[in-house]
Amino acid sequence: MHLETIAGVLAAALITSWGFPAAAADDPVKGCTPDGGFTFTDPTGDDDGPGTYTYPTDAVYKPGSFDITEFQVVPRGDEVEFRVTVKSRIEDPWDSPAWGGNGFSIQMVFIHIDTDHKKDSGVRDGLPGTNVRFAADEAWDRVVIISPQGATRVNSEVDAKCPQWKDRIIVPRVTRASGRTLYAVVDTKQLGGHPTPAWGYQVLMQSNEGFPAKTDLLTRKVNEYEGQHRFGGGTDYDNDPQVMDIIVPPGGDPVKKQHEILSKYNKAATTVVKPEDLAVVPMVYPCAK
Amino acid sequence: MARIAGGGVVAVAVGMALAPAARADTSNFEMSGKIYTKYMYQNDATQGCLSMSNPFWVDNIGGHNGACTEFELNIKAHVGPKVEAGVRLQSRWGAMWQDWWENGDLKPGVADTSGESLGMNHAQYIKLRGAWIRAAPPIPTVRWVTVGSTDYSMWNEWTIGKARYIDRDNGSGVFFEGELLPRKRLSYTTGAMALPKLWAGPGWQTGLSGNDPLARLYGTDWAFALKLESRVSDELRLRFIGATLRDWEPDRYSPMLTGAPDAARGADHSVALATRFRGYNGTLDAVYSPAALDFLTVSAMLAGSSNFVNPDYATNMVRNGQGFSPVVFKLGSNGTPVSSNGLAGKVLVELADPLQVGLSLKLEYFNIGSEYNAVMGARREADVLLTDGIIAGGFTRGGQLPTLNVANEFQDWDEPWYESCIGWKGATAVAEWVRGVLRVTGEFTYIGYNTNMQGRDVRNQYPNFLYTNGFTDTTAFTADSDYANVYDRGKDPRSVYAENQDRRTFLVVATAQYAIPGFRGATINLKGKHVNDRDNRILANPNDDYEGKSWLGMISLSNQLTNELRTFAGFEYTHWSEANREGSEQEGFHDSRTVRQTARAGFTYAYGGALFSYMLEYFHKDLLRQPYYFDMKWNVWRSKASLEVSW
Repeated sequence: MHLETIAGVLAAALITSWGFPAAAADDPVKGCTPDGGFTFTDPTGDDDGPGTYTYPTDAVYKPGSFDITEFQVVPRGDEVEFRVTVKSRIEDPWDSPAWGGNGFSIQMVFIHIDTDHKKDSGVRDGLPGTNVRFAADEAWDRVVIISPQGATRVNSEVDAKCPQWKDRIIVPRVTRASGRTLYAVVDTKQLGGHPTPAWGYQVLMQSNEGFPAKTDLLTRKVNEYEGQHRFGGGTDYDNDPQVMDIIVPPGGDPVKKQHEILSKYNKAATTVVKPEDLAVVPMVYPCAK
Repeated sequence: MARIAGGGVVAVAVGMALAPAARADTSNFEMSGKIYTKYMYQNDATQGCLSMSNPFWVDNIGGHNGACTEFELNIKAHVGPKVEAGVRLQSRWGAMWQDWWENGDLKPGVADTSGESLGMNHAQYIKLRGAWIRAAPPIPTVRWVTVGSTDYSMWNEWTIGKARYIDRDNGSGVFFEGELLPRKRLSYTTGAMALPKLWAGPGWQTGLSGNDPLARLYGTDWAFALKLESRVSDELRLRFIGATLRDWEPDRYSPMLTGAPDAARGADHSVALATRFRGYNGTLDAVYSPAALDFLTVSAMLAGSSNFVNPDYATNMVRNGQGFSPVVFKLGSNGTPVSSNGLAGKVLVELADPLQVGLSLKLEYFNIGSEYNAVMGARREADVLLTDGIIAGGFTRGGQLPTLNVANEFQDWDEPWYESCIGWKGATAVAEWVRGVLRVTGEFTYIGYNTNMQGRDVRNQYPNFLYTNGFTDTTAFTADSDYANVYDRGKDPRSVYAENQDRRTFLVVATAQYAIPGFRGATINLKGKHVNDRDNRILANPNDDYEGKSWLGMISLSNQLTNELRTFAGFEYTHWSEANREGSEQEGFHDSRTVRQTARAGFTYAYGGALFSYMLEYFHKDLLRQPYYFDMKWNVWRSKASLEVSW
């Protein structure tokens, strides 16, 4: 209680002096700029995929580690900085510098970008291991991978597991973590141009798996029951969406919406899973008019 | 193979009724393999593929020149939704390619003129390194029961620490996890673990008569631990961890061991156990993240330890082992053994970019008691303090751990080093500024020492690890003989006690990383560090004061030349100026200066699932001690290459 009191006083002082709002506004989109920048708020407590997923039991998976709270796109000249903030402080329990990593260990984020919003343009399949799809008119054209693994490892996994999308997959020039935020800096050239307010995004929160299954792009599996290093609450097959948190279009209850989206997969498809059996995740066009 | 994961085995092991024995479904049966090959070169007279091996026993695998290969096979089975099992099979590390034929058939006492055998360390036998079974039984509150191998990662560095990577399956135990209150309001983990006979106790063992004539039983020794966690609210998490270590020996006065099994003597064919070592460690920690201030995180921890050594069964290594001991042999005022007790605490306040300008702050206060000691705490590969610490250099990273049992052996020259932080009290402030491709950090740390004391008994009670003076040169540790500090590489990283100490340290660290525009993934890394370490030693003697000043500068450039190829090159300059570094109170102390230049270059290349890496290093070091001692210099070339393939 003592700690809580101290922190409460500190919080009050900071709010007073810096004028921070006590609660977030309802509209999740803020600060749309003509160069495609924006801030998108995602609710807390929805790091459970379709509502049933649970964290692995190992102590490194701290509560809130996979709970997206904010997604930002910050254009800066010929670069774009992507920021994904989670509810918990980002740590490096596996000492990523020892394996050429980027200063964090357990998170892994895929930022899918739809640059043209045209039907049958882009890729509908999710990256290997995510077990999701996109709608025909919301297919992704680029995907930015924020991984604790060094670029060499990520690129070699891409070469081995999805070489057909190699030109669309972007391993950032800079990937780092600070506080609760993951940062990725990407050249606009890699994105195919400067961002515009019309671009759409989908942020999939996964977990870095250094020893992935043969078909997974460094992603951690979701099983029926959680394991020391496996998520639980899904199935033991590759039909369930293997993402813990996503962003959803504004309007309505975002948590309920996420649960509904990620629950819509074919539970009867077990050993043979077709693309149409997978959950379809939406693109979000935060600043599109 | 499915027999490995038989549910019936689980039922016997955990003593509960489960479904009839199941066989692993093929689709749920996972196998993965890995081949790891390492090549090492150094211009010295050693051979092997491990820079530093066992510091005490000669185990004939440590050395710098050689090529070695190991194979690992992991098998994991989802026997059913509620039962899974796994094993790890791995070949013994140590055989060099040059060994040609080796069957481990070492013949003690027979001159081996053909080099036929160097023993099992070179025989590459496949060993069962780990086996575990995990089940979710229908027991109220119990979520999982795990039986078998463990890395102890469920506890923390202050109690029972996560085992180092090479030891990740060497521990074994039985563990229960579950929830007492729903929605994570109160969850628990409890377990009983076999106490590792090799390192977890006085004399780095728990009852090996060959090493400690007073002890001979280790099969009865266990550690027990309990963790309670509560998500009081979305904003506040609490965690308690308590652990006890129990090292028992047969009661040396038991009638069954001291004479004839005569009932009249009290002999009844039972032998009582007596305590050789008993340890308690506990922590209570909290993390507070207010929703209204999502940039703020406050973490606080309190810890306590109590370690008791019974000298009737444990040889006093402070007195008889030149001060090398992972425990204090504490005596009460009347000369009888008593517990060595200590408290520790720390508070960390983190402000993650509160002004939305890319500037984050971390402030940590720490106060670790002079006798806090986590005998089974993390020995390396963890870091409990925010500070860069004293031991970390430029290329060589490091960390701090609250134990005398720090382990800087069984590692290569490019791996991090760890130092004991027992007795440290002070504060660290770290500022980080991030903007686009630029990241800059600055640190200031002040360290006072709870271990400061005049006339401390380092002959009988407090281990000083013999070498208490000077900056530790982690670069110059070598496999052949300098683990014993023949070539003066400074203070032992485990040394926290000195006979006379009045010490304080402050350090300043600055780092920067900048991704060069226009170059694909080219990043410049800079680091500067200054350490000012002062120890007045005997307060009444103004001529024995030690003052060490260390300056370090490092620059490196890494570049992702292609998707598969990353290169690296860098240079580090170190200068230590140390007043009154070497000598003794009786003979006086003398100054020394160290200048070291290190250059490194290397690359990693990934191709089709194979990962190759190579690193070349040259360092030149001058240790200038004249006119009191002779000077020394190092001209060392060394390299390390590895090829890794997993499938």
